[in-house]
Amino acid sequence: MKTPDGATLAADEAPFSPAGAAPARQPRRAWLRPPSSAYDQRSAMLFLAPMIAVLMAVAVFPVLYSFWLSLFDLKLTRPHRVPFVWFDNYLKVFQDPLFWESVLRSVNFTVMSVLAIMVIATLMALLLNQEFRGRRVLSAILLIPWAIPYVANGLMWKWIYDSGYGALNGLLLQLGFIDKYLVMLGDTDKTLGLITNAFVWKEVPLATILLLVTLKSVRPDLYSAAKVDGANVWQRFLHITLPSLVPGFALVVIYEAMMAIRHFDLFFVLTEGGPADASHVVAWQVYVETFRKLAFGTGAALAYIMALATFVLAWFVIRATSRKL
Amino acid sequence: MSNTCMGSASRRDFLKAAAAAGAAAGGLLSHEALAQSGALNMYTWSAAVDLVKSHLSAFEAKTGIKVAYNTSPWAQYRDTMITKFVAKAPIDVMWVSDSWLPEWADAGWLAPVNPFPELLKYNTDADRFCTESMTYKGKQYGLTYYSDYMAFFYDAEMLKKAGIKEPPKTWDEVLQQSLKIKSAGLSQYPMMLSMARESWLIEFLSAMVFSHGGRFVDDKGAAALAQANGGAQRALQWIADAVQKHKIISPASVETGELNGLKAFGAGNHAFALLSRYRIRTLNDAKQSPIAGRVRQAMMPAGPGGSPATVGWMRFHGMTPQAAADKTRAANAAKLIEWFGGKAGSEYQFQKMLFNDLGSGFGIPSLFKDAEVQASYAKYADIKVFEAQQKLARKKDVISRWFGEWDEVNGTAWQSAVLGKSTVADALKKSAGAWNELRKDS
Repeated sequence: MKTPDGATLAADEAPFSPAGAAPARQPRRAWLRPPSSAYDQRSAMLFLAPMIAVLMAVAVFPVLYSFWLSLFDLKLTRPHRVPFVWFDNYLKVFQDPLFWESVLRSVNFTVMSVLAIMVIATLMALLLNQEFRGRRVLSAILLIPWAIPYVANGLMWKWIYDSGYGALNGLLLQLGFIDKYLVMLGDTDKTLGLITNAFVWKEVPLATILLLVTLKSVRPDLYSAAKVDGANVWQRFLHITLPSLVPGFALVVIYEAMMAIRHFDLFFVLTEGGPADASHVVAWQVYVETFRKLAFGTGAALAYIMALATFVLAWFVIRATSRKL
Repeated sequence: MSNTCMGSASRRDFLKAAAAAGAAAGGLLSHEALAQSGALNMYTWSAAVDLVKSHLSAFEAKTGIKVAYNTSPWAQYRDTMITKFVAKAPIDVMWVSDSWLPEWADAGWLAPVNPFPELLKYNTDADRFCTESMTYKGKQYGLTYYSDYMAFFYDAEMLKKAGIKEPPKTWDEVLQQSLKIKSAGLSQYPMMLSMARESWLIEFLSAMVFSHGGRFVDDKGAAALAQANGGAQRALQWIADAVQKHKIISPASVETGELNGLKAFGAGNHAFALLSRYRIRTLNDAKQSPIAGRVRQAMMPAGPGGSPATVGWMRFHGMTPQAAADKTRAANAAKLIEWFGGKAGSEYQFQKMLFNDLGSGFGIPSLFKDAEVQASYAKYADIKVFEAQQKLARKKDVISRWFGEWDEVNGTAWQSAVLGKSTVADALKKSAGAWNELRKDS
């Protein structure tokens, strides 16, 4: 049997039997065989049990427990009175005008970030899909922002944006765009945009890789055929490249939107939700409620609302793009 | 073959590592057991660690009482301690900030030290605001770690260059002198005020409000900051005008924390600064500051209807109820608190060590007369101004069980007004409303 790249597989390594052919032989090695008896299934369960137990303890239990907590008016600073309040914490969150302002800011941040990431990553992926001298070096350089931890990234941008000695101000001044240093993160009109920029810089590499992988899967003969039919570059992009990129786009939109909605690190390092409440997004509100006010009940309710919003968004994106996948 | 050897070696290594880990865990357990059986458990934030350790060694040598010492960074200290309290971790003595006193006392995490006359006797030596800052609902909850206040500093050389002979005595003079310095091209923003949202913010705001003759809260505990033309309103209006109208304070002040403010002032970018009093040691240290020797402390400028009052704060040694519940443990904890917060031997040894090594303030007026203290301070500042200003330091009036929650709203409101995103009156109304609501809820 031949693999797609021409290598020959041994009969017992064949993943499936070709249509009409006799069924492939069972693997010789016993441990490769799928569980065929109750005994094997019990053994499999036995081996999986420790991992299931660990997952239950570190993932399932905390998730369920945090939901349970969200039904209590639990404040660590008031340890002697923890009333069960049903869904009052959720109601309290929805009735808080600050929450809706935070939602609006989170939506702004997410839309700006995802759009910017999509555009830049698409252009980068198209560039890296071409053969040219230095392509590998450029690919390696592209990965650097991705490799930098978020907190380090935040600290770096804090220096760059600094109003007194920041590199951005220095650059703009030297290029003659400004005549004196500008207030950057301290300006409520610029804050969210500047945080978005730092987020986009960090996230573009992964999105580029995902789109590049999608581009690599487009069959070259489609382009050859289109050329023969007289399609120009733009038409080939519009009718071959772009539709082929839809699965990649869906993946990028879902992943980056989830990252943006839940994003906390840059808000913490760069602005702590300020100035005033210019960068007070939902993720920041979860932190303030839980770790500053130590109100675990409301904090857990907020976190659940945020998680639910993320799931709903992912569902809509998957539904909207699934027809094209 | 080699794989087998490797496997065998790995297993042996694993067993060795497991044994070592077991021994280490055993060591930790025995340490914990020791701590629980006899040694006192002392928690502090990570400051003056070497001084604390050396003073602890002296305590252990003198009393034979063992102390297990642990620290946590200041930024996470409150959360860490609350988590430990809730989990009933073994803690006997810890450092407490006056900002957390009502919260911790009401939650039952702090025990009053009133049953220990050997600790209360030091009140006669202490500044009034220090004792007041450790007192809640008529009970005292500890003894000094250190205390200090918000001070007004100026760059004497910059003032001289601008032809200014004397530092300002009022906030209006600060404005006039700043405009003069600005027009002389000596500084773009002559006044440095840190307004970032951090734990220091309330100290800066309180100093401004007190010096404008205002208060955040009245005698009955209701919000007083929104009073029309009250001290708080005058203070916030002054700051907002200084940022937006006169441009003597940078709009970036809302992203400048205390430490960055110190760096900016220390770099010679400003003529005036509001900073913690103990920072003058760093500012006049040639190894750490480009403007060393140029920084002077002046009395806090007074606003219209105000006085040179400032805000003082207190960090103190407190005792947990679990220590207080056991007679022997409580007695040992009291000895430890006295060793640090009171006299060790015949003098306030720890206060003096902190002052001489770090410049930290003290709440013991008699130390101003101490020859060693005077000689140490004379190297970098004027002790007379230090003492005179300390006499006018007042306890923060917003310290309450709901302080943390209100502080979030208040910080946002003041920043909004400073940046012109809301009016001064609206910002203060919002903050006052939040205060009254939280007070009612609580």
